[in-house]
Amino acid sequence: MRRTVFFGLAVALVAGAACGPAKAAGDDTVRVSLNADIRSTTPGTNRDDNTDAVVLHVVEGLVAYRENGSVGPLLAESVEISPDGKTYTFHLRSGVKFHNGATMTADDVLWSWNRYMDPATEWRCLSEFDGRGRAKVEAIEAPDPQTVVVRLDAPNALFLSTLARPDCGMTGILHKDSVAADGSWIGPVGTGPYMLADWRRGEAITLRRFADYASLPGDADGFTGGKSPKVETVEFLVIPDASAAKAALVSGAIDLVPDISPADREELKDNPDIEIVAAETMGLNAILFQTRDPLMGNQKLRQAIAASLDTAQIVHAVTDGNSVPNNSVVPTASAYYTDVQRQGFTYDPARAQALLQEAGYAGEKIVMLTNNRYQSSFNTAVFAQAMMQAVGINVELEVLEWGTQLDRYSSGNYQMMAFPYSARLDPSLSFESMMGNKDEQPRKVWEDPEALELLARSMVVTDDAERQKIFDELHRRLIDQVPMIMLFNGSDLAAFNSRIEGYRPWAASKPRLWTVSIAG
Amino acid sequence: MLRFALTRIALAVPTLLIVAVSVFLLIRLIPGDPALLMLGDMADPHSLADFRRSHGLDQPLPVQFALWLGNLAAGDLGRSITTGQEVLPLIFDRFLVSATIVVVAVALASLVAVPAGMLAAWRQNSLTDLAVVAGATLLLSVPSFWLGLLLLLLFGMKLGWLPVVGYVPFGQDFGAALAYIVLPVATLVLVEVGVIARMARASTLEVLRLDYVTHARAKGLSELAVMGRHVFWNAFAPTWTLIGLILGNLLGGIAVVETVFTIPGLGRLLVDAIFARDYPVIQGCLLFIAGVYIVVNLVVDLLYPVFDPRVTA
Repeated sequence: MRRTVFFGLAVALVAGAACGPAKAAGDDTVRVSLNADIRSTTPGTNRDDNTDAVVLHVVEGLVAYRENGSVGPLLAESVEISPDGKTYTFHLRSGVKFHNGATMTADDVLWSWNRYMDPATEWRCLSEFDGRGRAKVEAIEAPDPQTVVVRLDAPNALFLSTLARPDCGMTGILHKDSVAADGSWIGPVGTGPYMLADWRRGEAITLRRFADYASLPGDADGFTGGKSPKVETVEFLVIPDASAAKAALVSGAIDLVPDISPADREELKDNPDIEIVAAETMGLNAILFQTRDPLMGNQKLRQAIAASLDTAQIVHAVTDGNSVPNNSVVPTASAYYTDVQRQGFTYDPARAQALLQEAGYAGEKIVMLTNNRYQSSFNTAVFAQAMMQAVGINVELEVLEWGTQLDRYSSGNYQMMAFPYSARLDPSLSFESMMGNKDEQPRKVWEDPEALELLARSMVVTDDAERQKIFDELHRRLIDQVPMIMLFNGSDLAAFNSRIEGYRPWAASKPRLWTVSIAG
Repeated sequence: MLRFALTRIALAVPTLLIVAVSVFLLIRLIPGDPALLMLGDMADPHSLADFRRSHGLDQPLPVQFALWLGNLAAGDLGRSITTGQEVLPLIFDRFLVSATIVVVAVALASLVAVPAGMLAAWRQNSLTDLAVVAGATLLLSVPSFWLGLLLLLLFGMKLGWLPVVGYVPFGQDFGAALAYIVLPVATLVLVEVGVIARMARASTLEVLRLDYVTHARAKGLSELAVMGRHVFWNAFAPTWTLIGLILGNLLGGIAVVETVFTIPGLGRLLVDAIFARDYPVIQGCLLFIAGVYIVVNLVVDLLYPVFDPRVTA
């Protein structure tokens, strides 16, 4: 029987070896793994992180995020803001081409904007601009082909940041050819450095270089800056299993895995054909408290927990030394991260025990939720539990499936949880993700009225120095009140074949293939 | 036989209806909100409300069920919440991928395991028997994800003979398609060979002890004739039932193998849909799988008399 099996296998293997697609020398294609298929090709509608990552190679907005979280012009040459903060004038770059050869004008911006504002488009950021959010867009006009004027009903410091948000599809400017006569979506005809060539659902997405791409001068800076594409074809391959992606990288079947685990880094770092680079992201990895819980509502108890945790040790252990500790909601990569934000919680077990006594804590059981999808959340919870137990806090872990934990987070039904927030590139948005009234939104973590006022001001004030003061004050209050314990922002560890050059992960956790070239 | 088949098909309708109700209710009993999973932690309450409204998730459960059942009766399984694709064509596309791998794997496994099991029974207590039983037990005990990863490591990475990830349809490029399915098929073959071989051995042993086999030997028939003409057909009937069950199980999705080898099959579709709480896809997949299981079992039952004429359909 064995002979039969081996013979069969040998035949199959030889056939496979003979027929399998081998990578040709001089191949001008970079293959990148995606851990799940994209959801659509429509910017800012049916999307997730992978969708944004792919689509933002194809479409571009008027403004885009830089690496430090500030917003800079992309399809706009410049942006003027009126003194009252309610009128934004975008001067468009000239000579920008769409993938169909048409030249971009203010009419295209108006057409795209009207499409986004049509509820039928189901743009996820509609509520930010239609009056339900911070400020309503009252009018948008095109006084000439190179100028677009947007009028708001109130000043909004986050107007440009929201336009630039990756999950809003960067409010990408599209050509009318993107939709059919009946308004149905055909495919993105954008201005990006790559064009969508093919999407085989569940398998791969292929992008082709846009030869007429109008690049800004200089180096790539986040989603803006110089973006001249160097590689002819980029292929995103859907590989859900991390081990399979690693195997594909080592075998040369793919060139780049944008986010490997710290454990995989240890395994791959000695491979001479593989290079690994890291970058701090703007995600928020934190332990949240339900401040309305009878037990966790006790501020002294929360302070005791904060004092019991050695942030540096937890972060080193959880990220294998790839991330830096950060007790601030302002990400380390942000332009607003200063010495004030560096002042975090102090690890002091003796003080933690004293605070427990002051809190009147009598060993009541505390349940901390975590999940088994995000390893960093799980490991954070395990280390935090051990440190809390060391000072006498009776904490138990409950490990949930991610969808279940998200449900508990959304309903506020928990005492403590280790939770990963996705990256927000503006500190106001980072704070806003966890601040608010729990009666209106039970998922909110921190509802101190004075802090909420400060947050609201940070969304109106446009002066950087003024905003910095607000963020500093919010940080000090957060460290004192401990509605949550921020631990680290996390990092993207990218592993790639040494035949490609120029790849750099960055704070937004989105691969950028326009920086990449093929060696030799 | 026609009456038997029609009765079985008629009985399938209430079964599928029970599956439909159970699936609809059970998936909604699991905590988790499709809107939250879809829009993520950055979603504001307005976007969540918009999303629920546009997908009918804000309707009371009985209304949602009635709408779904009404559409189901018209052959419409709805659209995926995550991708917006129509569920039925999506399931068919993915099923074809899984079915190709499963049918090839089960056929190969049967071709290897049935003769091996019969050989072991024929040479009971010999070294051959011991080797087959030990090998079958070993293969039976190996988890498919681990075996898959080992094969991937050896043939994909160390030797570099086969592609490690991806899938190419046979209609697109036959050679490449073959190369891509070798490892997943080999994984399934190795896992299933153990089960089938043990069954084939056990049923052959049972038949070998019967009087008519002794009688056949006493008539002076060669061992080949005894085994081939008299033992095989009777011993194969129970194995055939087992192969049918395996086929039904595997056609319902080989999620683990599909995940390891990055194959866009039905199992992966279902697992992804469960994690995303994509209700229409989960409901569609499970109904479809139940239907496949019923059809496969019906076919197996109808073919049973071919191997064992004592049983009439």
